[in-house]
Amino acid sequence: MNAAASANRPGRALLRSGRVVAGGVLLLVLILAAAFAPWLAPHDPAEQDLLFALVPPAWDALGDPKYPLGTDSLGRCVLSQLIYGARVALIVAVCAATGAMLLGVFLALIAGYFGGRVDWLISRAVDLWMSFPPVILSLILMVGFGVGVVNVILAIVLVDWTRFCRVIRSEVLVVCQRDYIPAARLLGFSHLRTLWREVLPSVAPLIVTLMSLEMGIAVIVEAILSFVGLSVEADVPAWGVMIADGRDYVYQAVWGLVFPILAIMITVFGFNLLGDGLRLTLDPRLQSRQAR
Amino acid sequence: MLRLIGGIVLRRVLVLVPMLFIVSIMIFVVLRLLPANPIGMLIAPNATAEDIERLRVYYGLDRTILEQYGLWLGHVFAGDLGDAISFRADVLGLIGETLPATIELALMALVFAVVIGLSGGLLLFHWRGKRRETVADVTSLAMLSTPDFLWALFLILTFGVAWTLLPFAGRAAPSLVLPDITGFVFIDSLITGQLDLLGSWFLHILLPALALALAFAPLVMRVLRASLSEVINEDYITLARLRGVGEGRILLRHAFKNAALPTLTLIGVQFGFVFGGTLLVEIIFSYPGIGNLMVRAVRNQDMPVIQGVTLTYCAAVLFTNLAVDVLYVVLNPKLRRE
Repeated sequence: MNAAASANRPGRALLRSGRVVAGGVLLLVLILAAAFAPWLAPHDPAEQDLLFALVPPAWDALGDPKYPLGTDSLGRCVLSQLIYGARVALIVAVCAATGAMLLGVFLALIAGYFGGRVDWLISRAVDLWMSFPPVILSLILMVGFGVGVVNVILAIVLVDWTRFCRVIRSEVLVVCQRDYIPAARLLGFSHLRTLWREVLPSVAPLIVTLMSLEMGIAVIVEAILSFVGLSVEADVPAWGVMIADGRDYVYQAVWGLVFPILAIMITVFGFNLLGDGLRLTLDPRLQSRQAR
Repeated sequence: MLRLIGGIVLRRVLVLVPMLFIVSIMIFVVLRLLPANPIGMLIAPNATAEDIERLRVYYGLDRTILEQYGLWLGHVFAGDLGDAISFRADVLGLIGETLPATIELALMALVFAVVIGLSGGLLLFHWRGKRRETVADVTSLAMLSTPDFLWALFLILTFGVAWTLLPFAGRAAPSLVLPDITGFVFIDSLITGQLDLLGSWFLHILLPALALALAFAPLVMRVLRASLSEVINEDYITLARLRGVGEGRILLRHAFKNAALPTLTLIGVQFGFVFGGTLLVEIIFSYPGIGNLMVRAVRNQDMPVIQGVTLTYCAAVLFTNLAVDVLYVVLNPKLRRE
């Protein structure tokens, strides 16, 4: 089998997986919406029009076609806020998941490969982190850092690296038992090269799956933090802030609460669908188990 | 058996104490990154510089971090978590007032999650290979994508706003006086025989506990299904089938018993997260637990309260892990013999 064919196979398998395609399309739509927000959004998300406060969605008898999903208590367009809110959600999702992945995988590789004291130290650190409920840890980190997109990303990275570290470390331990690792060392590979060329590729499918699940988690954490008022600056539209505002007017304007909730759910569902599909397609052990 | 459990408890406590110690240092250091000044919240607008300085000295904010930590730790060992800056009450008292509510909520959520999760898992497994499974599978995935605070808002929208069926604020109807004996309304109302209070308590805790349970249950469902799929291929299941035992009985009596153990471990490990999840659910349902206390403290940047409450959360997680370890030994006959 030549290299091109073997590299092509997972690609085709991925396209055949309904979950990967569905999740991917869902997320692509979101990414496009966030990227082209200024052209797609009918209004400036911060533009207030108190004469048009709490207008219901356009299909309602009292609705106004100018505001397809209605307006909030300050007369801001809900749809435009949603579209701009996708920016914060996606930026945080991608950056925080990548950061948590890099930190977690780096420590996991060192711990699992070298073992001994390094492993002990890193594993104890993970234990320590796991004794904080994640919400509480991210909350006190945000109290310490102050608000802002970069700080939210940093807080999520510092909370969620353990998710990667725990899982990847035990996978690395298993991989290092295989014969090809000492064989690589005997061939004169340096530690770094062995890790990079032999260990990392065999845990890569797991990393990809965890990444996509982590992006979903990051979206939720950002929403939670902005709901409590500890995420981005007050003038940046975010779904969690919309929920907090919508909750106060739930009796007069349900739509202000329902749409941001739906936005979060669809996004997280997209990431989970993608992650679940990737897990099923990329993990060779699961495939052989299914074949049996 | 008792000696075995004693050994485990002792070993875990030996780890637990230094853990809590390091956790407390972490909390302290993180919170001191903050440039803000909690005194600012406290003073009258016409306070002089000397007034501010006096308060800073009073709350120990003029010393180095190391000194502040040493002072705080000394007090913690004496059972004193310090005075809240913004509430004018002592932190231990504030936690003591609110913690029972949170424990009640978390336990109730656990009960609901176990019931929904186990029955859902059995159902998912029962439907394996059928077209229904794909639908149920995607549904459970969608449920898994819905975090507890979104469930909370959903439940409020459905049962609180659309149909005004259930209350969604507080621990009991405001007209009822809570007897303050243990702080647990469930126990207190039974002691004093106030059945109306018990009923009101149940209706009030139903939605918040359900919100937590619905976010947690899909995970239980999926893990139970996975371990059932593994167990069902074991020889003793085939044997039972050959003996002519019915499929339903095999599932419930033979497979479930053995598949339940990994599920229970998962429930135990994840319970710590449920405890963390109570924070948001409490805020959404205006439920007076430590989560509400925490967020109020965060908004006022009230360091002593934040420190105390965070430490309480961590202690709760660590003690839950300890309880799970003990339970695991009690339930797993393989471990018991050693």
